[in-house]
Amino acid sequence: MIPRIECRSLVKRMPSGNQTLTILDDVGFAIEPGSFTAILGPSGSGKSTLLGLMAGLDRPTSGEVWIDGRRIDALDEDELALVRREKIGFVFQSFQLLGNLTALENVLLPLELSRTLRANERALELLAAVGLAERVHHYPSQLSGGEQQRVALARAFGPKPSILFADEPTGNLDAATGERVLALILDLWRREKTTLVLVTHDASVARLAPRRIHLKAGRIDRIETSENAA
Amino acid sequence: MKLRIVFQTALRESRGARGRLMFFTACLAIGVAAITGVAALSKAIQDGLRAQSRELLSADLVVEGRRALPIELDGALANQPNVERADVRELVTMASGVESGKSRLIEAKAVRGRFPFYGTIQVATRDSKGGNEFFASTLADDKAIVAPELFEALGVSFGDSIRIGGAQYEVAGIVEEEPGRFDFALTAGPRVFLTLGGLERADLDDFGARIRHKALFRLPADPPREALNELKTSLKRDLPGSVYLTIETHSDAQPMVRRAIQRVEHFVALGALLSLVLGGVGVSMIVRAWLSSRTAGIAVMRCIGYRPREILVLYAANVVLLALVGSIVGGILGSLVPLFLPSLMSGLLPAGFELHWEPISILRGVAFGIVIALVFSIPPLTGIWRVPPSRVLRNEAEPLPPNRAVQVCAGLVLALGLFATAWVQSQSPLYAAYFAGGVAALAGLLALAASLLRRVASWLPRRRMNPHLLHGIAALARPNAGVTGAVVALGLGVLVITAMALVETRLTEKLRTALPFDAPTAFLLDVQPKQWDGVRTILQSSGASAITEVPVVTARLDSVDGVDVATLAEKSRLEEDPDRRSWMFTREQRMTWMQDLPRDNRIVEGALWTDASPREVSVEVEYAKDLGASVGSKIVFDVQGAKIEFVVTSLRSVEWESFGVNFFLIAEPGALDDAPRFMLAAAKLDAASEAATQDALAKDFPNVTMIRVRTILEKLVKVMLRLAIGVRILGSFTILTGIVILAGVVSASTLHRAREVALLKTLGVTRGGVAALFAVEFALIGLVAGLIGACAAFVLAWTVLDRLIELDAALPWWSIPVAALGTAALAAVCGLLACTRALATRPIESLRG
Repeated sequence: MIPRIECRSLVKRMPSGNQTLTILDDVGFAIEPGSFTAILGPSGSGKSTLLGLMAGLDRPTSGEVWIDGRRIDALDEDELALVRREKIGFVFQSFQLLGNLTALENVLLPLELSRTLRANERALELLAAVGLAERVHHYPSQLSGGEQQRVALARAFGPKPSILFADEPTGNLDAATGERVLALILDLWRREKTTLVLVTHDASVARLAPRRIHLKAGRIDRIETSENAA
Repeated sequence: MKLRIVFQTALRESRGARGRLMFFTACLAIGVAAITGVAALSKAIQDGLRAQSRELLSADLVVEGRRALPIELDGALANQPNVERADVRELVTMASGVESGKSRLIEAKAVRGRFPFYGTIQVATRDSKGGNEFFASTLADDKAIVAPELFEALGVSFGDSIRIGGAQYEVAGIVEEEPGRFDFALTAGPRVFLTLGGLERADLDDFGARIRHKALFRLPADPPREALNELKTSLKRDLPGSVYLTIETHSDAQPMVRRAIQRVEHFVALGALLSLVLGGVGVSMIVRAWLSSRTAGIAVMRCIGYRPREILVLYAANVVLLALVGSIVGGILGSLVPLFLPSLMSGLLPAGFELHWEPISILRGVAFGIVIALVFSIPPLTGIWRVPPSRVLRNEAEPLPPNRAVQVCAGLVLALGLFATAWVQSQSPLYAAYFAGGVAALAGLLALAASLLRRVASWLPRRRMNPHLLHGIAALARPNAGVTGAVVALGLGVLVITAMALVETRLTEKLRTALPFDAPTAFLLDVQPKQWDGVRTILQSSGASAITEVPVVTARLDSVDGVDVATLAEKSRLEEDPDRRSWMFTREQRMTWMQDLPRDNRIVEGALWTDASPREVSVEVEYAKDLGASVGSKIVFDVQGAKIEFVVTSLRSVEWESFGVNFFLIAEPGALDDAPRFMLAAAKLDAASEAATQDALAKDFPNVTMIRVRTILEKLVKVMLRLAIGVRILGSFTILTGIVILAGVVSASTLHRAREVALLKTLGVTRGGVAALFAVEFALIGLVAGLIGACAAFVLAWTVLDRLIELDAALPWWSIPVAALGTAALAAVCGLLACTRALATRPIESLRG
């Protein structure tokens, strides 16, 4: 079976003052379709950079990224945008909602872009699924952190992406809200049969994933798998 | 993307930035108001001319010639039943008060028959007033109706006598209003109405005096335009010598005025466009600031899968929506201009002229506003390509490298948009190229200066500086401070106003005072050869110097190199400026003869009087080009009925600005010996003795017309000052736009400034202190913009004066510091007004971040 995501010898270096920092060094692994993988490690271990490379948000210094058997690291900006549009959804630590759009409009944005039929119904349905049916016309500034993250979740799942990248989705939330958001992510993952890649520094969150890739100082420290997770 | 989605998303996107985008609207509104105002005004004038064309022409059809009109004219109209005819003769001549002896150049109009057929001539006598019938009943062969200003000029009143030529006329009334007479046309003098019989009494030599013969026709039952044009064509075809006649119908009334207005209109339209272009610069600045505040959102959109060009389309749609609002506001404001202008234009428009609201010009202005807003927004919008999608993960993610192809395309779109709008406005690709090139060069220069300013500001050692100055300079050096846009916009505004003021002041001054030292100050026309001795005696006794006289023979062009003049005139009608070209062939040509050329003439090809056998003629080089003649060409002239062939043996260049007596055509001595002629004389007179000399000449030689150059220059100055008002209004539009841009840039940084204010206040700086810090920053921007703008204006004014008009361009250097300081003060005040909200921020905000 062709892996959904495959990273081959990824290296990412960045200039910092007069020096060059190596953020990722020879990272390689594959992720199967429909699976749930956690990438964890301490701050500065290169988790978010790795997610950026996998999602085509950034380019590696060397190495390759493949999605569904297609190499994406050499694509131009427009082609990358189309890959993201068709295959990828995101949930970020800082929610990244557009402040000038209501909850509904934020969810509608990718649906309209992908010309989804009955986009409005789909958006309302998803907002109801995350428990925000009553708050669809609220602006992000009128929502709590947990509510904002739930809007972000609805937006991410809207176009039915084959991959969902979640970058510290509970990082800005209190424990109870965080748990609720995580439960929602897992629920949607199961329901939509998405490949879930979750980046976190929190081992307890990572434990929910059947497969965990541990990063340390930009390299893969170890890969764990467990049958009974999630 | 579907259009509905594009506009829906664009509308949503504009939500958070409405306050800031108010400046966007204002930038465009001012420019569009200028464009619409100019367009509405010129359309109103053109429409007015059309609507009142009959009144302006006073008839349905007018046939005009420089010699007596062909007798076949009546026969040619015989098949038109109930045609009414009136005859008019017009000439510029001298009139003098019989008692006072004072004289004045006048425009005489002698009428026979009903005049005017259309429109109303308002006449007042000592104790009565009336219209057309009153005019007809007041006028008689021994009576004149004069313009009111002649009373003072000639020292006469009702019942007094004036002399024109060899006859005296009683001043029976004054003309208060005459249809078709424009005050802004450079008239030679006040109007005097006579009857045709009365003019014949004056015994002005029909050949010497430059009389215009006109036949006015009134056709029954308002014939349609097509019928009139048909009649005009048949007259052109059937009348003998029709090539020398001008035939006008009311549908093309006042073609000269209309074309003159069109020409001025195209230049003024470019001035208005400049203000819109500045608005475009402002829009560009605001879009840049707007985009930089939206970087996070753009990164999210890119992350979701929007391609850069799709985001560009969304933002461009947003620009279009905002531009639509701004342009409609500007369009409405501008279209109101003609309603308020009559007070400004009083005296420029003929009486009874109506200006109305022109909705079509609003549409035009709105279209211009949208195009300019779009083409100026696209370059900053290419910044979308630089927003890294990875910014959603790391705020500090490096911007992506610029996409050169996109940037080049954006530059091309801007250049093309600028050129296209200038082309539409000026109706000339050449002017459009000059305009677009000039604006680009000046904006480039100003942008360069602004970037230099920022560099200098960042290099300057600030350690021992006054804290206000320190902050001001540091603020200029700050990245994305918007200094470039503000300097470019303000600088262009200052440039326009200062350059105009400099050129206008210098030109007026020069016209008033500086006739060339040895130039004649008076020209004497229509002197009969037998009168010359007497005329010269008067001139000499008045202390005149540099008296010169030349014989003048009037002739008509008959053929050039065997091609008859009718064919030449017809061919020339197909070319650019057809009326001027045609006129070159069919006008009365004035020729002289002389052995040696005057000093201000120079042979550029051929040689003077080298061939013994044929009659030779020397032709002014530009005129030869117009005629299509060169050395060796054979030109036949009709000299008062006799056909005489000349060979062009030399071409000359002439320094016309010397004010000397010069001719397009100079014949070999002896070639025109038998032709009837009059003398043209020129002399240099003291300003003080001019009037007395004129009076003396009018008394003894009433047929002689004296033209005083100084008086004409005074008139020119007056017309120029009037035009200058319009230029100043346009200039102030550009300054206003510059200020709105500065305010927009300041307002765009409100958030940043508010934080800065909170922090400064926390550190103990008072509100006044913070205002002073900001004022220094704005004043520095204004100072640099003013300085560069004024320097560029100085260079531009010098170039125009020295190179184009060839005037000694001694310009006042102090205009540069005055303009710079004025702009600094204006910028400080407007900048502070734009950041009043930020200034009110409380120190607690600094804790909240």
